[in-house]
Amino acid sequence: MEPPTIGSMEPQPAPDAAARSSGREAPPSPPRRRFLRFLVGFSAASTLGMIIAPIVGFLIPPRTQGSGGGRVVAGTLEDIPANTGKVVAMGSAPVIVVNTEAGVKAYSAVCTHLGCIVGFDTTVRHIVCPCHDGHFNPASGAVLSGPPPAPLPPIAVALEDDEIVLVPSGG
Amino acid sequence: MNAPAETVRGGVAGWFEERLRISGLLAALLHVRIPVSAQTYYLGGISLFLFGVQLISGTLLALYYKPTADAAYESVKYITSVVDFGWLIRSVHHWGATLMIASVGLHMGRIFVQAAYKYPRELTWMFGVLLFAVTILFGFTGYLLPWDQKAYWATTVGTEIAGGVPLIGDALLNLLRGGADVSDATLNRFFGMHVLVLPLLLAGLVVVHLTIVHQLGLASPRHPEPRPVRRGGPAQPVDEPLKPFFPHYILDELIAWFVVLAALVVLASVLPAGLEDEADPLITPQHVKPEWYFLSVYQLLKIVPRTIGIVAPMIAVAILLLLPFLDRNPAVAKRRRPLALSAAVLAVIGLVALTVWGAQS
Ligand code: HEM
Ligand code: FES
Repeated sequence: MEPPTIGSMEPQPAPDAAARSSGREAPPSPPRRRFLRFLVGFSAASTLGMIIAPIVGFLIPPRTQGSGGGRVVAGTLEDIPANTGKVVAMGSAPVIVVNTEAGVKAYSAVCTHLGCIVGFDTTVRHIVCPCHDGHFNPASGAVLSGPPPAPLPPIAVALEDDEIVLVPSGG
Repeated sequence: MNAPAETVRGGVAGWFEERLRISGLLAALLHVRIPVSAQTYYLGGISLFLFGVQLISGTLLALYYKPTADAAYESVKYITSVVDFGWLIRSVHHWGATLMIASVGLHMGRIFVQAAYKYPRELTWMFGVLLFAVTILFGFTGYLLPWDQKAYWATTVGTEIAGGVPLIGDALLNLLRGGADVSDATLNRFFGMHVLVLPLLLAGLVVVHLTIVHQLGLASPRHPEPRPVRRGGPAQPVDEPLKPFFPHYILDELIAWFVVLAALVVLASVLPAGLEDEADPLITPQHVKPEWYFLSVYQLLKIVPRTIGIVAPMIAVAILLLLPFLDRNPAVAKRRRPLALSAAVLAVIGLVALTVWGAQS
């Protein structure tokens, strides 16, 4: 083959590509070639691994610290008089505190149906979810009506003088 | 891998080829005229690779970074100390910036020494100078984002320099800072520039730059490009053999990228990016110094009157931009370009001297 010159615009097939396309009936790869192929594949895979591993690690969000495990003061009995309720934050978790005939109770405020935040309805005196009208018993957290499949998980409360204190479950 | 011009039938490649009819385009893209004497040192490709590294590491950083004066510093601290591999990603972005400026600068140097900016590559060169400017602006805007003392005061001084530009200085300063001082507004502007405007601009300029390179092929460092035959003038065909772009040149380029990646990871691990105290607009720290690529301008400003120190770099950039039209000598051989080369050597010596002086003072 004549060496291509600066003036020529024809694409020049690379020598080994040309050799390969005409070598359909070439003998099976000798071991050395297979080894080289393996080496190339291995290098490519380890390079990809080396780049992707830190990226995946970086993408996974670090655990957010909750309230630090300590007690959370939800308010005083004056803030939440009998037959009312209030949603407070315990760390990043919303909690509903209700003052019922059965005493002060607290539950996770995340509806067990599809995750809306429940509130206290003072007319019917139920914990009510605004999204699909789920009703919960304020004394027990049990479902009274509507689509929620499970009761609201309770949160331990303690009264210290007239302060209402939430005690996160250990851990 | 098939020979580029060959049409593939059957298989997955065949399925796509029937629907895209793209093999001709790919074959054309994979063909660049490269004279055997061409020696690029892979610097343009390395710049491109580093731009890719910056895009990826920068996008990752943006997932945790908060661009407000109240939260920026803490978010950078959080990335460095809490997020898994955060220190690595941040340090890779930091060193990627330094290496990219170095490789773009060296690329420009090799183009100059080999006279590849001459006919017909004047536009390639001019787009290259714009790329260089955008790369520097990346460094300038990115430096503020960690919002530590170094960032804050280097930007205060840097924008002050822009404020000294004759006639438009005050307006420019106000525009850059988004107010009278470096503040939350400045941080927002710099962030927008750094993550949106500049990447799009650089990507667009790179496409134009590489399209021209592809269309013209690489310059020969031995022979000037023959001009088309003019009336009666004799043609001077230059028969220099070519070497294949694919796979030979591409493979070598890939190896160069591996070397750069290795250097990047080592630098990022051994010398991770630091973070000083949080920015305090009321306390200027003892030694405010810019990044190394601004040290020469910084030192120049210390030793000459302000206006000269500001106008001189602007003239230098203008000379760079117009170089292909200022240097009318058609020769490419080094011994036939004594004026251009000695001027460049003097300029480089001056630049290095100012940088070293600036680093030590
Ligand atoms: C982000 C910045 C840049 C990128 C990604 C880039 C990329 C490239 C690439 C991949 C090439 C092919 C040959 C090679 O690798 O050397 C090239 C060629 C070229 N570049 Fe750049 N470049 C950049 C900046 C610059 C600058 C700052 C200049 C000069 C002011 C410049 C001037 C040129 C010229 C004149 C050529 C043609 C060289 C020849 O034909 O031999 N480029 N560029
Ligand atoms: S989410 Fe509460 S009832 Fe559907």
